Amino acid sequence: MNETYIPRWLDRAKPFLGVGAAVGTVYLIVVVGFGAAPRTTDVGYSPVQPVEFSHALHAGQYGMDCRFCHTTVEGAAHAAVPPTATCMNCHTTMAADEVRGKKLKLVRESYQTGRSLPWVRVHDLPDYVFFDHSAHVARGVGCVSCHGRVDQMERVWQHETLSMAWCLDCHRNPERHLRPKGSVTKHDWEPDEDPEQLGRRLRQEYRINPSTDCSTCHR
Amino acid sequence: MSSVERNTKGDGRYWRSLNELADAPEFRRHLEREFPAGGDSPPAGVSRRRWLQLMGASMALGAASGCRWEREEIRPFVKRPEGHVPGVPERYATAYDLSGTGRSLTVTAFDGRPIKVEGNANHPMSLGATDAWAQAAILEFYDPDRNARVLLREQAGQRAASWDEALSCLRAAIGTAREAGGAGLAILAEPDSSPTRARLQVRLREALPAATWFEYAPFSDDQCRAGAVLAFGRGARSQYRLGEADVIACLDADPLGHHPAALRHARDFAARRDPDRGPMNRLYVVEAGYSTTGVCADHRLPLRAGHVPTLASALEQAVTVLLDGKSPAAGDTDRDRFVRVLASDLVEHRGMGLVVAGPNQPAAVHAAVHRMNQALRNAGKTVVYTALPDEGRPTHVDAIGQLAQAMRDGQVKTLLVLGGNPVFDAPADVAFASALARVPESFHLGVYNDETSRACRWHLPRAHFLESWGDVRAYDGTYSVTQPIIAPLYGGKSAIELLAALLEENPPGPRQLVRETFQAVGGGASEADWRRTLHDGLLPESGGRPLELFAQPRSASEPELAATSGDGGFELVFCLDPAVHDGRFANNGWLQELPDPLTKITWDNAVLVGPATAERLGIVHESLATLARGGRSLDIAAYVLPGVAEGSLMVTVGYGRTAAGHVGGDTVLGVESVGVDTYALRTAEAMSVATDVAVSVAKGRYRLATTQDHHAIDRVGAAGRDARVGQLVRATTEEHYRQHPEFVEHVVHTPELKSLWAEKAYDGHRWGMTIDLSKCTGCSACVVACQAENNVPIVGKRETMRGREMHWLRIDRYFEGAPEDPSVAIQPVACHQCELAPCEQVCPVAATVHSAEGLNDMAYNRCIGTRYCANNCPYKVRRFNYFNWHKDLKDARNEVVKLMYNPDVTIRHRGVMEKCTYCVQRIQAAKIEAKNAGRAVGEGEIQVACQQVCPAQAIAFGDLADETSAVAAGQRSNRAYALLAELNIKPRTEYLARIRNPHPLLGGTPELSDDERSGHTG
Repeated sequence: MNETYIPRWLDRAKPFLGVGAAVGTVYLIVVVGFGAAPRTTDVGYSPVQPVEFSHALHAGQYGMDCRFCHTTVEGAAHAAVPPTATCMNCHTTMAADEVRGKKLKLVRESYQTGRSLPWVRVHDLPDYVFFDHSAHVARGVGCVSCHGRVDQMERVWQHETLSMAWCLDCHRNPERHLRPKGSVTKHDWEPDEDPEQLGRRLRQEYRINPSTDCSTCHR
Repeated sequence: MSSVERNTKGDGRYWRSLNELADAPEFRRHLEREFPAGGDSPPAGVSRRRWLQLMGASMALGAASGCRWEREEIRPFVKRPEGHVPGVPERYATAYDLSGTGRSLTVTAFDGRPIKVEGNANHPMSLGATDAWAQAAILEFYDPDRNARVLLREQAGQRAASWDEALSCLRAAIGTAREAGGAGLAILAEPDSSPTRARLQVRLREALPAATWFEYAPFSDDQCRAGAVLAFGRGARSQYRLGEADVIACLDADPLGHHPAALRHARDFAARRDPDRGPMNRLYVVEAGYSTTGVCADHRLPLRAGHVPTLASALEQAVTVLLDGKSPAAGDTDRDRFVRVLASDLVEHRGMGLVVAGPNQPAAVHAAVHRMNQALRNAGKTVVYTALPDEGRPTHVDAIGQLAQAMRDGQVKTLLVLGGNPVFDAPADVAFASALARVPESFHLGVYNDETSRACRWHLPRAHFLESWGDVRAYDGTYSVTQPIIAPLYGGKSAIELLAALLEENPPGPRQLVRETFQAVGGGASEADWRRTLHDGLLPESGGRPLELFAQPRSASEPELAATSGDGGFELVFCLDPAVHDGRFANNGWLQELPDPLTKITWDNAVLVGPATAERLGIVHESLATLARGGRSLDIAAYVLPGVAEGSLMVTVGYGRTAAGHVGGDTVLGVESVGVDTYALRTAEAMSVATDVAVSVAKGRYRLATTQDHHAIDRVGAAGRDARVGQLVRATTEEHYRQHPEFVEHVVHTPELKSLWAEKAYDGHRWGMTIDLSKCTGCSACVVACQAENNVPIVGKRETMRGREMHWLRIDRYFEGAPEDPSVAIQPVACHQCELAPCEQVCPVAATVHSAEGLNDMAYNRCIGTRYCANNCPYKVRRFNYFNWHKDLKDARNEVVKLMYNPDVTIRHRGVMEKCTYCVQRIQAAKIEAKNAGRAVGEGEIQVACQQVCPAQAIAFGDLADETSAVAAGQRSNRAYALLAELNIKPRTEYLARIRNPHPLLGGTPELSDDERSGHTG
């Protein structure tokens, strides 16, 4: 009476259980490993911004330096998004034409009303990670290393995974991402010599010894 | 009374509570449970099944919304202020007034919101330190309960109104009063040192000469003032130079704790407690209960507050006789001996001694003290006198009594209450609330919609000091400007704004008002002068000039120095609370949860009685006692505290609030009051000590949330610990230390320690800390500072009782000696950042690992909450988030509270372990700044939160690899020892042994002698 009833058909299904388990495992690996990996979910993230600002035009075609707008990148943790006033520095002096008039409507409104533009954050680290731009820029890590060729992006997208493994890759072997300090913001910079060799030389010269302690990023 | 000798001698055994000392059954039960009652109970409120359902639902939602986290917006400035860098904290000097004394601060603002308060290092009364109240100001500032708006009381209750309505009503009332020259208008103000307010007060008097102005605070320096008048014929303020004094005698005085200049006193006092830097001072304290000063005393005589006048009289006689070259009267009681030794010590150190009387003592005691200081030639050296800013004002008790009488007589048509909470804290026999009901038009300007606001017709929200312009004078008279760090959050106005609005239809703005005062007080006319004062936080050389005063001999009209309480019976002493002050901070969770320095009570007040008194009354610890006086009575939990004078019952005020808010209690909101309102027994003629109190045992027990017995281990462990507390708190006398400078090494002898693991070499920074037990006064400001800096949550009374408090820094308090008259040892304990950390070895997920600089890092997002680390921590400094303590932030009402948190520190979620990090966010910030500039981190560049706030400079932090650093020097010193070093865990924090300086004639026996407790067993 206490015996558990096991249906007979299960005996026939037995040989397939192993197959089912194997397929299930593969499925799990695919879904979790690839489906939820930062490489899939984060890279390429490119939200629509309130203003159709083109980095390709400003940083690429006009060749404006990153620091022209992101002024705080060398001295602070945040490479602050520029205030509306920065846009208007140029856009008040330029002749108005129809296209620009439409595109810049929100910017002008913001400038007149004093209300901030609601830019959408692209590169968003978890709240328990504390990243400092100045610490990296001051040591010759190029903007391109993390942000990609922003000078070729019409609308900015996330170029790297920004995952912890990705951070640690560089903190363990920073050589590949080092460049002379003067060329940090140059998008199209190419080393004149062997990149590995230059990296090793710069690492020594700038005395770069990245820490991989937890508290370096988690506080 | 018990022996003074026993006090200093002791039997060398330390204990934490009377239950522990007596090995009471309750304590044993407490020990035998691995966790306190309820400590292992599941989360309350939500059943497991319901929780799983909720989780399932939220996971489904999460899947639907994609794997990316929330979409965040970046909203930059439209025009960024010049010099402002988003995300970089800015520091501004400001000041605030507490009970009529200004305190200068520097406030850290992060993107425009104040997140941390520090002392102003340039200010002579702060020197960078603050007290717990200033530290907790941030929480008060963001308190959603402040969001009261202007409220008008009508038949149906309070309704929201506007400033325009309130001001027009107030102006109309004043217009009516103006016709009678101001008669019918009364203003009741809390004391405030603001020169701008004083200026407006004068203008108001000119405009409305018949209007009356009263000032009241429940605790004041009225007796000190009256004492100066008795002695000098005029009011004066005593400025103590504790650093100059070799011998300090405190008669019921607490210059290191409840004193407007306590921060400076603590710094000066502590500077003389280092035996390696010059001769030590010696502190004698006579008091009924334990004060901060009493904890630091070399000799403490427990004495009823009402008996202190006779002791003062005896001391004055003995000093006079000794100065005449005769020998004082012999007597054989402990008290006689105490007085004789103290008098001879004072006479021996003429000009280098100091006698201090406390504000609870009658004027005649103060006069006697002034005469003694003069006869001993201390005046002008260790104590100088400065003028009172408001000489000649009536005493606060008289003022409130006169006002209540005028209100009852119908003379007051309009009452404006500027700050304070008189309905709650006025003397009970003044019956302020019933008198207020007779006033047709009443206004209360208050930070909260409190008891007084609800009794008045109008509640006017007061701007917090962090959001208003103002000015203050510090205790020494130094002028500082209060500048707003942020625009008013809830549309409040400051007292000076309101006064100016009464005087004129279109008054100048508050900044302009202060600017005009600034010029009037001699700050200079130029914009540069003004800006410099704003920047520096003080106007240099603006303090009071020392007065040349001569103490008159005792006049015949001066009251006798007689005991105010008899030998039998009991006296009830009212004290300011170390946490909630006079009740004004009752809605501040940080302060409510701050353990009392002595009793370790959180979220409550209790009546403190000595063991002998308790026995006489039949009171046991945590039983309810009924205190009755003049037809009023209350039931309050009894706390049997060793060292409280025989016959004394001590209560602190400020609890039992009925209109504080969601934290402190509110009858309208249905929130139970925290603690018991002891103002109910306080009357105009007994503001400090009541002798006619009847005490009886009430039925029932009451559990107090004390933290003192938390983290006690099992009986075997406890026995081991008892035997070892002498090793944990190492102390000796100066004399013994001079003979055996290396004594700390001989407290514990262990065999050669070998590591089970390969030891790591540290070649970069090696962060370390020293805590000087000679200097620490146990004031607990560091606990609140740590809480503010590191986003440490509060857990409430129930969870505190279960041992779930979250403070990263706790202050252990041990007693030693006889229960009637023990001495106290204080020891702050936070994570010791062990180099061979036991917590790290047991973490299954490597959530706590070592950094290259020796920090024991905590990676919160890795932690899975096994709590093995807390179990394996020998110091018991790890804290576990049993709940999501920040859940309330999701409440729309608490939206504003989010602005309070330090953005450089992670908010920890439920199920995560946390502990002191050595303020790693400050370390990293300093390192990044130094590296960007291409230089090394300098000594003193990194100050951890507890170190920065410490008024006694007991905590040093720095790089042990830097030979010249203060912390390296400290750890090299003879007094340095590591706690539990025999476990070979190599803690980075070390203590400096406590050295006391008892008088040889009062039992200068070492508390720890080599042969008695040497630890030569290992």
